Amino acid sequence: MVKRRHASGKSTRACAALVCAMLAATLSAVPASAAAPTSHVVTIENMQFNPPSLTVKRGDRIVWINKDLFPHTVTGNTHAFDSRSIAANASWSYAPAKAGSYPYGCTFHPTMHGALTVQ
Amino acid sequence: MKLIRPQWLGALALMSLASWAQSAGPSDPQIAAIVVTANQVDIDAGKLAESRSKSGDVKAFAKQMVTDHSAVNQSASDLVHKLNVTPEDNATSQSLKQGGDANLAALKKLNGAAFDRAYIDHEVTYHENVLDALDKTLIPSAKNDELKALLVKVRPAFVAHLEHAKHVQASLEKSSG
Repeated sequence: MVKRRHASGKSTRACAALVCAMLAATLSAVPASAAAPTSHVVTIENMQFNPPSLTVKRGDRIVWINKDLFPHTVTGNTHAFDSRSIAANASWSYAPAKAGSYPYGCTFHPTMHGALTVQ
Repeated sequence: MKLIRPQWLGALALMSLASWAQSAGPSDPQIAAIVVTANQVDIDAGKLAESRSKSGDVKAFAKQMVTDHSAVNQSASDLVHKLNVTPEDNATSQSLKQGGDANLAALKKLNGAAFDRAYIDHEVTYHENVLDALDKTLIPSAKNDELKALLVKVRPAFVAHLEHAKHVQASLEKSSG
């Protein structure tokens, strides 16, 4: 399990993460290597995870970008993963190593829910 | 028994905003003052609840109100500086401030379960009225696009806060039997 944390809340950094993620997604779309890991982006905005549910393969990387004005977390209901506080305009990425279904939420805002399925 | 609790003056002030919609509505500098005051009132109540409540749920909710409403006010103040607008005090922002002060004074006399109930009940009413004011008056009246966009952007947080407050309210009712 590899975790990377973007601690500071610079919007340029979030944008850079988005560009990188999009680049990676584009590159991995090239059919040369079927096993190449893909990057996925989940936007946190308007108190919602978008897309709310996402299916990935083991080893894929998911980047959550917080576009709200306040901090959020990405926390597995069983605590399989926990971003801790992601500042406004910051991001957090995670590459799940184990298959399974992982409902998750924001510990700060109990109304926020998402679902991650790892194949 | 008094029909209107003084701590609800702020909520009433927000409700009175609806009548403003028929006329020209508040100006952008007036909206700025209303937004900043409405957030500050909830930050102050949240700080009191964080220190006084014994309930983990109430404390967590109060802490979140302080964090989120402080962030909204930071964004509002950044925008006001950028647009070179001076927030203009008005009858609504003044009533909000008075209502917030009355709410704090009433809460400071309470402890334990009575404090938790009064704080959360007020939070439910407060967020309902802020949403009503946002939808009926503040968003439709805002002339500057960036100010309007900020109001639209913060709206989902008020919806989530209201749901969160109602959830805590229901659990307090359950625990008190």
